[in-house]
Amino acid sequence: MNDGIVVIAQHGENRADPLTYESLACAWSLCGGDAERIRVIVPGDRSRTVAREIAAASGFAVTSVESDVLTTYNADAYLRVLGPLLERTAPGYVILPHTCIGYDLAPALAVKLGAACITGVEAAVSGNERTGFVRTVSAGKLSAEVVPETATAVLTIQPGAWQPLDIKPGSAGAVDTVRIEAGTGRSRTTGFKQAEYQGSALADSTVIVAAGRGIGTQGNLALIHDVARLFPRSAIGCSRAVCDAGWLGYAHQVGMTGATVAPKLYFAIGISGAVQHVAGIRDAQMVIAINNDPSARIFARADVGIVEDLTRFIPVLMEEYDRQQGTTTGTEEIREPRAQENSPPPGPVKR
Amino acid sequence: MNILVCVKQVVLPGMSAQSGSRINRYDEYALEEALQVKERIPGTAVHAVSAGPQRVEAVLRRAMEMGADTGIHLHVDSGEELTPYQAASLIASHVRANRYDMIFAGVMAEDDLQMQTGPMIAALLDYPYASAVIAQEIRPDNTVSVERECDAHRRQCVELDLPCVLTVQSGINRPRYPSLSNVLRAKHQDIIRPEALGREVPRARETTIRTFAPELHPRGMFLEGTQREKAVRLLGLLHEKNFL
Ligand SMILES: Cc1cc2nc3c(=O)[nH]c(=O)nc-3n(C[C@H](O)[C@H](O)[C@H](O)COP(=O)(O)OP(=O)(O)OC[C@H]3O[C@@H](n4cnc5c(N)ncnc54)[C@H](O)[C@@H]3O)c2cc1C
Ligand SMILES: Nc1ncnc2c1ncn2[C@@H]1O[C@H](COP(=O)(O)O)[C@@H](O)[C@H]1O
Repeated sequence: MNDGIVVIAQHGENRADPLTYESLACAWSLCGGDAERIRVIVPGDRSRTVAREIAAASGFAVTSVESDVLTTYNADAYLRVLGPLLERTAPGYVILPHTCIGYDLAPALAVKLGAACITGVEAAVSGNERTGFVRTVSAGKLSAEVVPETATAVLTIQPGAWQPLDIKPGSAGAVDTVRIEAGTGRSRTTGFKQAEYQGSALADSTVIVAAGRGIGTQGNLALIHDVARLFPRSAIGCSRAVCDAGWLGYAHQVGMTGATVAPKLYFAIGISGAVQHVAGIRDAQMVIAINNDPSARIFARADVGIVEDLTRFIPVLMEEYDRQQGTTTGTEEIREPRAQENSPPPGPVKR
Repeated sequence: MNILVCVKQVVLPGMSAQSGSRINRYDEYALEEALQVKERIPGTAVHAVSAGPQRVEAVLRRAMEMGADTGIHLHVDSGEELTPYQAASLIASHVRANRYDMIFAGVMAEDDLQMQTGPMIAALLDYPYASAVIAQEIRPDNTVSVERECDAHRRQCVELDLPCVLTVQSGINRPRYPSLSNVLRAKHQDIIRPEALGREVPRARETTIRTFAPELHPRGMFLEGTQREKAVRLLGLLHEKNFL
């Protein structure tokens, strides 16, 4: 493994993207206390302002790599400018966030550098001979520790896996600028546009009841609505799979490429808990998951897990709710003895 | 147009390679997108390619049933899963020996979740590429204009020269079901197995040293008991937290 660590900054509108500080934190955790090993690269047409911001906040050395072709992100342009530069630098690690820029660029960059490529990194494991990187595999069921076999490794790190770098540097890091001329390439970014979705009520709901592919049929959305009606105010969310199937519109999609939500309660019903989905509920205060697979990834994020077939469990839940409503309004109904009803929920259960 | 579609056989947890494997969902979207190009542009041929052991021919058959003109099997059987770099290298060397105008792949394999193979094929061939494509249109001037899906409902518009590599995001289309005529055709049509000559699998550039079950949420717990008991506990909890 080579020594240096290069962080490729993500930025927009003259400010570093907050994810850049997560990449910096990852670099900081890998540098073994030797901040000299870290160099931040800020690609852009004029990226000095961002470079100065990062140098002041981190104390790391920052290079603004400027070129006319870097006005906005474009894979071809980034590769032509950054490829040769990084080849000369020959760092041990190149770190990017696992975003539509990071996962687009990293694999091609790794090929250009003859480097290993490890995507969606969630943690680093040091202490052994070689630092390992933890990522999700097996359709979300397992985690794997992966080690690079090459002098350079390109890493994309999962948003949220590292807390943004928060250090008080003694002084700002050095800032320099390199200008690189690059002719026109074979790919041009022509702009950005907002996808046309009607606004959804997801953003300001206190309770979100969300459906996943596990509902099986569009008809079973009725069960999701049943649960939603338990609450005075709630909204219906869903996984991308449900939108792709045409069962709900994309305005309901929660996750990395959908809505980021922060409800008090998030009900994940028949949702496996893919990282891209869970990315959207990081700020949910409480997550309750219903899934018939006890090893579903969603249980790693859930406060309360219910391992049941949703098509059977929800009707029972509704029945029980109606019965309790009935009794509280004074219906003369004989209730089953339920000793545990008011006892606190059981403690943590190890799987 | 000559289009190559990369299809991967994914083996999902709890299923055996023989019975439980299927075509990667994102590759169905990629194949559908290619088939729609074929419907629009006369003279277009769609070829499905898969690298791996004998068993991956099942997904090539499936691709042919959906409408791919041919299925191409790059046979390698090292006993180990191919890394994205290895798969990309095999596919890129096949592309070098044949001419394709466009290469489609899925944005991600559902089993290994790498999101690497497509951009790596492009880098190996020095082709332009775009990942997570949610709309694409081929222009008469041999360029393709695409929309890439970014975060939070934002799309990046990119114009690429042909030949190029696109990795396809779910939701771009509705993948078709196999038609009876294609099912019959696929049954009798041979899968193409190009000579393995010169098809070396490069060394893997990263190694998995262990796999393990992810940890539970620190506050996480499971409700126990019968269905009804769980329902009662859940309602109790929701009352307790003032949600009801
Ligand atoms: C670039 C990119 C961006 C993405 N962005 C997003 C995003 O923003 N949001 C998003 O959601 N996804 C996103 N995805 C897709 C994501 O990777 C997953 O494919 C998706 O979240 C899966 O949806 P799901 O959990 O509903 O389906 P699955 O993964 O198929 O899970 C279904 C679950 O239902 C359970 N189940 C089945 N039957 C029952 C039953 N009867 N009772 C109870 N449980 C049952 C199963 O055990 C399983 O866990 C993105 C993917 C990519 C590549
Ligand atoms: N062995 C393979 N054979 C053919 N295509 C593959 C193979 N591995 C990956 N791919 C393609 O690359 C895409 C992304 O895979 P990955 O990089 O593993 O997430 C898949 O959706 C396939 O289109």
